[in-house]
Amino acid sequence: MYLEQLQLTNYRNYQHLDVDFSPGVNVLLGANAQGKTNLLEAIYVLALTKSHRTHNEKDFINWQATFAKISGTVQKSSGRVPLELLIGKKGKSAKINHLEQAKLSQYVGQLNVILFAPEDLSLVKGAPAVRRRFIDMEFGQMSPRYLYNVSQYKQVLRQRNQYLKQLKYRQADDQTFLGVLSDQLAQYGSAIITQRLDFLTKLEGWAQTLHQDISKGKEKLTFDYVQHLKGQATLKQALQVDTAHEIELGTTLVGPHRDDVRFLVNGKNVQTFGSQGQQRTTALAVKLAEIDLMKAQTGEYPILLLDDVLSELDDARQTHLLKALQHKVQTFLTTTSLSGVAKTMIEAPRVFQIQGGHLKRRTKVNG
Amino acid sequence: MQYPEPIAKLIESYMKLPGIGNKTATRLAFYTIDMQQDDVTDFAKALVAAQRDLHYCSICGNITEEDPCLICRDKQRDQSTVLVVETPKDIMTLERMHEYHGLYHVLHGVLSPIEGKGPKDINIASLLKRLQNDAIKEVIIATNATPEGEATATYLSRLIKPAGIKVTRLAHGLSVGSDIEYADEMTLMKAVEGRQEM
Ligand SMILES: Nc1ncnc2c1ncn2[C@@H]1O[C@H](COP(=O)(O)OP(=O)(O)OP(=O)(O)O)[C@@H](O)[C@H]1O
Ligand SMILES: [Mg+2]
Ligand SMILES: [Zn+2]
Repeated sequence: MYLEQLQLTNYRNYQHLDVDFSPGVNVLLGANAQGKTNLLEAIYVLALTKSHRTHNEKDFINWQATFAKISGTVQKSSGRVPLELLIGKKGKSAKINHLEQAKLSQYVGQLNVILFAPEDLSLVKGAPAVRRRFIDMEFGQMSPRYLYNVSQYKQVLRQRNQYLKQLKYRQADDQTFLGVLSDQLAQYGSAIITQRLDFLTKLEGWAQTLHQDISKGKEKLTFDYVQHLKGQATLKQALQVDTAHEIELGTTLVGPHRDDVRFLVNGKNVQTFGSQGQQRTTALAVKLAEIDLMKAQTGEYPILLLDDVLSELDDARQTHLLKALQHKVQTFLTTTSLSGVAKTMIEAPRVFQIQGGHLKRRTKVNG
Repeated sequence: MQYPEPIAKLIESYMKLPGIGNKTATRLAFYTIDMQQDDVTDFAKALVAAQRDLHYCSICGNITEEDPCLICRDKQRDQSTVLVVETPKDIMTLERMHEYHGLYHVLHGVLSPIEGKGPKDINIASLLKRLQNDAIKEVIIATNATPEGEATATYLSRLIKPAGIKVTRLAHGLSVGSDIEYADEMTLMKAVEGRQEM
């Protein structure tokens, strides 16, 4: 799929924008604080109704305005789909093909995006929460069922944690009800874990090939999903064995909200034993593998958003990145200056100069 | 400038209603001032009467003018089934269908620790008491398909089943006459899970 057109009204520093994109590589060129990331964010929000940068949706609205609107047309193998997202002070509403959708969860999935920002290079290095967020965001786009299970799980988890606190302070004493909450949590939690394992196995396959390529066949990347089941065979059992401790702490100690993924290179954990370069190669391979996974799951290639990543990668890794995406996925990349590998490798890029929330198409890459 | 006290009080009263904020309350208050005096008097009387004349049925928890309620007093109804709902409004909805002829029980909420509602805070104890004395053979649980509604249903079934009473749950799925094309994905998923052999 690709984004053919984009219109913005009062989105951040864009008062009004109407632009046609190339199905290939679009380069967004501009000095700092001119609106490059804002434009990528707008595309991301049009796809997911959420931002990677903020939880506060009022931030999207231009400071001088009371609402923001993002609309665009997506070309898919099944045809053209117009999308529209309206963000007001009180909430959002979304339209597919001019029809308002009752639920935002029904809207998500029309446009699939993968965002790659410098922070993503810390996918390997960072805390487990970073990897869980990555998994939930990406798998949620591919599977409404995953999205549903995650939102149910979160709600039950809040209830169970609250009930554990009430048991702790003796505001409650009903063990049967705790058992009900534990089983309900285990039910959604196991569904999430099953789906994660399935997606991760597929992702691992593609990441392995890419990683082998980038490391010139010297290294083998494998994934390891880590659960802490307190010596039990299932989550359901693990939620039963340690309730005294959980009550004492007032919080749930096992479940997908505590799980993690380990990336191993030649059997060694890259997070602890890998060099900086190995960590970056792994992050790059995992991110790029998502493109193929999404194609396999949804039947369409997603759109790739690259925010300032080229400057973070060395020439060899830039080359691999560009090779993996050219002629395959529509790409938007932001940069303050196009040079080096990117300038020589990208074929027929459409270059836009961004200044203060205005876009100008450039016919020449230089000058 | 401050509003005169009578209107400020009226705004404050409207704001106590669910889903009404300052702006709406102000609009409603100013609208009320301009209403016909008779209408305003009827309105005020209706508000007072609704609370004064309505009670909760001591058996099933439904709202009623007389205790026990009409349904609990009706011996024609099937005394062997009890349908458990979250609110009195649900009874109205089910009664409109004219298909269910058993008894009801209103929980007045669902189990939700976040909202401070545990097993002792909703109308469960009186249900268990009813099950001891009566000739009840089946309990149908019709709480909503939210995580809290599901947890409440499971909890009730764990309490009731050991007594040898049959516990059933209302099926979820597509609404009749609705087009599959317009059903959201989760409704479809539930419908597929709850499919029945033909
Ligand atoms: N709601 C808003 N209304 C108006 N302007 C906004 C709003 N939100 C952010 N901005 C402005 O947008 C600018 C930031 O834009 P953006 O993050 O896209 O920069 P950038 O081009 O990606 O820069 P860099 O190269 O530094 O990453 C800031 O100057 C900020 O003041
Ligand atoms: Mg930026
Ligand atoms: Zn009654």
